[in-house]
Amino acid sequence: MKQAFITTGILVALAVVSARPAHAALRVITTTADLAALTSEVGGDKVQVDAFGKGYQDPHFVEPKPSFILLASKADLLVLVGRELEIGWLPPLINSSRNAKIQVGANGYLDASLNVKILEIPTGQITRAMGDVHPAGNPHYWLDPGNGRRIAQAIRDKLSDLSPADKAYFAQRYDDFDKRLAESEKKWDATMAPYKGTKIVTYHRSWPNFMERFGLDVIGYVEPKPGIPPSPSHTLDLIGDMKTQGVKLIVVEPYFDVKTPQAIASQVGGKVLILAPSVGGTKEAANYIQLFDFDVNTLASTLKQITGK
Amino acid sequence: MDWSILQFLAAPIAASLIIAGIHAYLGLHVVERGVIFVDLSLAQIASLGAAIAVWQGYDPHSPTVYWMSLGFTLIGALIFSMVKGHEAQIPQEAFIGISYAVASAAVILTLSQATGESEHLRDMLVGNILSVQWPEVWTTAAVYVGIGVFHYIFRDRFLAISMDARHAATHGVSVRLWDFLFYASFGLVVTRSVAIAGVLLVFCYLIVPSVGAMLWAARIGPRLAIGWVMGVIVSMLGMYFSVQLDLPTGATIVCTFGLVLIVMAITRPFVVSRRAVS
Repeated sequence: MKQAFITTGILVALAVVSARPAHAALRVITTTADLAALTSEVGGDKVQVDAFGKGYQDPHFVEPKPSFILLASKADLLVLVGRELEIGWLPPLINSSRNAKIQVGANGYLDASLNVKILEIPTGQITRAMGDVHPAGNPHYWLDPGNGRRIAQAIRDKLSDLSPADKAYFAQRYDDFDKRLAESEKKWDATMAPYKGTKIVTYHRSWPNFMERFGLDVIGYVEPKPGIPPSPSHTLDLIGDMKTQGVKLIVVEPYFDVKTPQAIASQVGGKVLILAPSVGGTKEAANYIQLFDFDVNTLASTLKQITGK
Repeated sequence: MDWSILQFLAAPIAASLIIAGIHAYLGLHVVERGVIFVDLSLAQIASLGAAIAVWQGYDPHSPTVYWMSLGFTLIGALIFSMVKGHEAQIPQEAFIGISYAVASAAVILTLSQATGESEHLRDMLVGNILSVQWPEVWTTAAVYVGIGVFHYIFRDRFLAISMDARHAATHGVSVRLWDFLFYASFGLVVTRSVAIAGVLLVFCYLIVPSVGAMLWAARIGPRLAIGWVMGVIVSMLGMYFSVQLDLPTGATIVCTFGLVLIVMAITRPFVVSRRAVS
């Protein structure tokens, strides 16, 4: 009885709220700011994009807020990173939204990882003896401009599918983004060229795609396993490895504590550098291309000091 | 305020009211016994059970993980009912604190040995009140009603050992058995609640209403009533703040508990003196 009363009240409220203009933009929600940035590049003013995670937050842990459920309940399309990156917080949110459009496998559910280049996918049978394995591969794949292009393609195709009348518009916006990205890529490649093959260490396994793209060699991680805080023996091993291989740079994500990296850096006479793993991770990185502008320029100027090249 | 959010908050609100109901009652016992952190400790022991099951390769959402955490809770209940600190002049809180610390550390060690992305597992073991679903609410309600009835039937025994165990023992009550039954039923509740609402929120639902009630009333009956009213008001108020300010729901309710307790402490002289007059 009480529940029926509440439900009626809610339905009335919903009817008032959901009366929106006929030519409303597609409502898109994304799990990260990078996917939101790419969606805006392609969707322009035909879409309204909101991201759950901010660029300076760890995308593995996003604290759900009431507004997230509202956004999810009204969305026409959900774009996610996939590869189990959001497994800790997204499934209950999708469930709570009760929005049939964005349920797993529905037409408004876009896993951006399906046609990109994924690194570190274990081959053969996974056994416990292998230690830490990501069964679905490394989920930080957006940090390769080539993958950014592939994600944008997938978004273009999905938006065209959901709003066929705007197909030409999305195609034109994608082509424009593709062109600008290609021009920037030449610039980034030139900036990074002198440092090809430089060995570095990173905190979390966030950077394999980025480092592979620009030819840097990641020889170790501050974390002994993803999500596990540094242990003494692992830290000592890492310092030893860095000394023998002459590694002087530790790249850290903005949401990790820099104490251990700094202690390691002072042991080997190296430097700790905080790079932005996502759009919005720093003020300068307001869109996808600016993210690489910032990371490439910061990394190159630090490597210049270290290597003297 | 966008009222359509209510449609999605109905299950979390129902869950918080159910949790408030049983925890305000259990909290009276816990505060009387002076074992304030026993729920944190039992919750941590439960998640150690879950962590071990996950390490053995079970899916974090599988029933095995739940049964394993329940089994560990019962072991914890057995330990707490066996260890009678006051006979050795050691406060019970010391044992509770030690089991909390050791269980927490053991969870970290277990997860560090687990396959796959261990970074998510800790999150999965602790619930978020915002994402609770109706089926979960119904089963929880059924379990809590069962435990509530059990406690109501044996309320004299439970109250007697919580208020004065030695006195009860001299009257022929088996303190060990009833202590075990208390901790076991309590552990059952806490394990479920933590899986729904998370450790911090469950701790507040347990302790704050009974402390607030002690500020305003001396007898058990009025205390229980005040605790229930407080639990309900804070739940609703916390949900309201969480929606209005768009803050994470669990943490907002916890802080609302703090605020309401401060208000109750400030108004205490007024409430208590008026009662003395009337």
